[in-house]
Amino acid sequence: MAGTGKAPLRDRPDVLLSVEELTVEFPVGRHEVVHAVSGISFDVAEGETLGIVGESGCGKSTVARSIIRLNEIRGGKVVFEGNDLATLKGEALRQHRPNLQMIFQDPISSLNPRRKVRDVISEGVRVWGGGKGAWSQGRIDELMHAVGVDPKFGDRRPHQFSGGQCQRIGIARALAMDPKVLICDEPVSALDVSVQAQVLNLLEDMKKRYGLTLLFISHDLSVVKNVSDRIIVMYLGKACEIGSADELYEHPRHPYTRALLASIPEPATTVDVSEGNIDGELPSPINPPTGCRFNTRCPHADEICFEVEPQMEAVGDDHFIACHHPVAVSISA
Amino acid sequence: MADSLLSVNDLCVRFPTDRGVVQAVNGVSFELEQGQTLGIVGESGSGKSVTAKTLMNLLPRSAEVDGSVVFDGRDVTELARRGESHFWGVQMTMVFQDPMTSLNPVKRCGEQIAETLRYHLGHNRKTAIAESIDLLEQVGIPEPAKRARQYPHELSGGLRQRVVIAMALACQPRLLIADEPTTAVDVTVQKLLLDLLDKLRRDRGMSMILITHDLGVARGRCDDISVMYAGRIVERSDAETLFTDSRHPYTNALLRSIPRIDQPSHTRLDPIPGRPPEQIDPPEQCSFAPRCRYAQPDCMSAVPELGGLMGLHSFACHHPSNTPRGEQALAANLEAGQTAAGLHIHPIEEAAH
Repeated sequence: MAGTGKAPLRDRPDVLLSVEELTVEFPVGRHEVVHAVSGISFDVAEGETLGIVGESGCGKSTVARSIIRLNEIRGGKVVFEGNDLATLKGEALRQHRPNLQMIFQDPISSLNPRRKVRDVISEGVRVWGGGKGAWSQGRIDELMHAVGVDPKFGDRRPHQFSGGQCQRIGIARALAMDPKVLICDEPVSALDVSVQAQVLNLLEDMKKRYGLTLLFISHDLSVVKNVSDRIIVMYLGKACEIGSADELYEHPRHPYTRALLASIPEPATTVDVSEGNIDGELPSPINPPTGCRFNTRCPHADEICFEVEPQMEAVGDDHFIACHHPVAVSISA
Repeated sequence: MADSLLSVNDLCVRFPTDRGVVQAVNGVSFELEQGQTLGIVGESGSGKSVTAKTLMNLLPRSAEVDGSVVFDGRDVTELARRGESHFWGVQMTMVFQDPMTSLNPVKRCGEQIAETLRYHLGHNRKTAIAESIDLLEQVGIPEPAKRARQYPHELSGGLRQRVVIAMALACQPRLLIADEPTTAVDVTVQKLLLDLLDKLRRDRGMSMILITHDLGVARGRCDDISVMYAGRIVERSDAETLFTDSRHPYTNALLRSIPRIDQPSHTRLDPIPGRPPEQIDPPEQCSFAPRCRYAQPDCMSAVPELGGLMGLHSFACHHPSNTPRGEQALAANLEAGQTAAGLHIHPIEEAAH
């Protein structure tokens, strides 16, 4: 699972955000670094939902946070509307921030407990002054109404709401900036199953209503499939497989994707349950394996996998994988 | 039923708080036979963990417990009163959700398992350590002797949970209670852990209670499943029936609200409106009625009893779905555009499968 290479990048005029060979490293100790993200490339077209799925520690959140520059980028580009966000600084970067907004996993701790939710939602707009999505009581009410929180509760504080409602408020706060891209980092993982569907439907509605492009990160394959047009499967800082949501589930080619699909409690019918028995532990991102990063756990690994890093290659219509030994699948029309 | 290993009868657990008395568990009864696995499924606050903690005698002192728990002919509440300490941890043990916090961070893994053996079974230090290494091997930990000398922080989440399982199995329990054992781990690890629990249970003829919020997890691993809502069991049946022929509108709605991997992407989900009720002074009504598409006036005035085919498939509902009575109720509500609880409802767009 190496997955360097720019093959998955599409040459289309409607590509809104394009990430090229993004590399993120965090120093630990004296001379060591965590290779959190190592050369990942993908793009998102306008109005599309891109899902990023992978196990904890695979770098999916780091990708999201790097796009909005919440952490330092070591190398690569993040091109948004023709500008490379990775190299922008100061005011130039600030000008782009409203366009990319994020909602977080823990709905309660991501809201300031001391402030009224009305102020939480409007803070960004107030910081930005007039220009973008000008601040007004009416607009805050409209947003609260849109996300399904009664505006008359605007003077309450976050602890007076349930987790599901707090997540709605988090969504309203992001929407207040009138963003083009909404990055959702595990937005429903902390919610109860009965509330999860409400928030997923809400995101879908908001996407239509406000013309958003979504980057949706989750470890839950069923959830990611439900919301996404395209999906990236990540492993240890690299992409293994990229494809349209339905294609990826119908014809998974990468051994890791197949292992994930076979591991979920009600496994996908397109894989064999035994493919989920991948042994061993996630290797340390401080010393990732050479060659293919999945080689320590892959049932198909042989010499070449330990020596040569596989590159992203097209294996179908809008379907890319990085593997020396892609699993053959019968494609019935 | 004389041959059941565990029999819980009308269990009620209340917690007095500043805001009132929380009815965490409200009349829960079930039987568990030797060698069987019972799944308890519910959302947070449904009372599933409190039920488990009651069985394990782990509730805070402030809790008020009513009802009886009988384990192999012995009254468990009586054992608790007498301060019997070699029952829990020997006959009945528990695996918790978070393996980091259920292990002692400053003690080597092997010693923690050995501690159980020394305390309950009176093993000496040397045999206890040797046996703990053996146990680590049984739960599939590679290099058990090396791992036994390591501290919990040196192990990954999956391995830590295996250590916790080894500890729970140390004294050959007859009942293992697993409370969300795989919620904190990744899917690939989850599968391996559940496979392991399944195998150990079979090999030892142990009974198991698997508590989870994930219906999918319960489906593949349990003989019977109880669905809990607001402190009560609302439906109980064998695992397959629950998924193919559920009768309680809550179970039904829960199954419909979960995204399924076999549906095409962007399938519109059918969420349950509202949120779980507060359990302080609950009104005398079906606790699901305010969120239920089937709710009728009688749902608002009387708590439904667990009925149906007792022992086979029981459900606590006045207007069960997939029955003429329930479908009539739903049809009437759809025509009126709202339920007796005032919930506005619309016909469900049928999913594409």
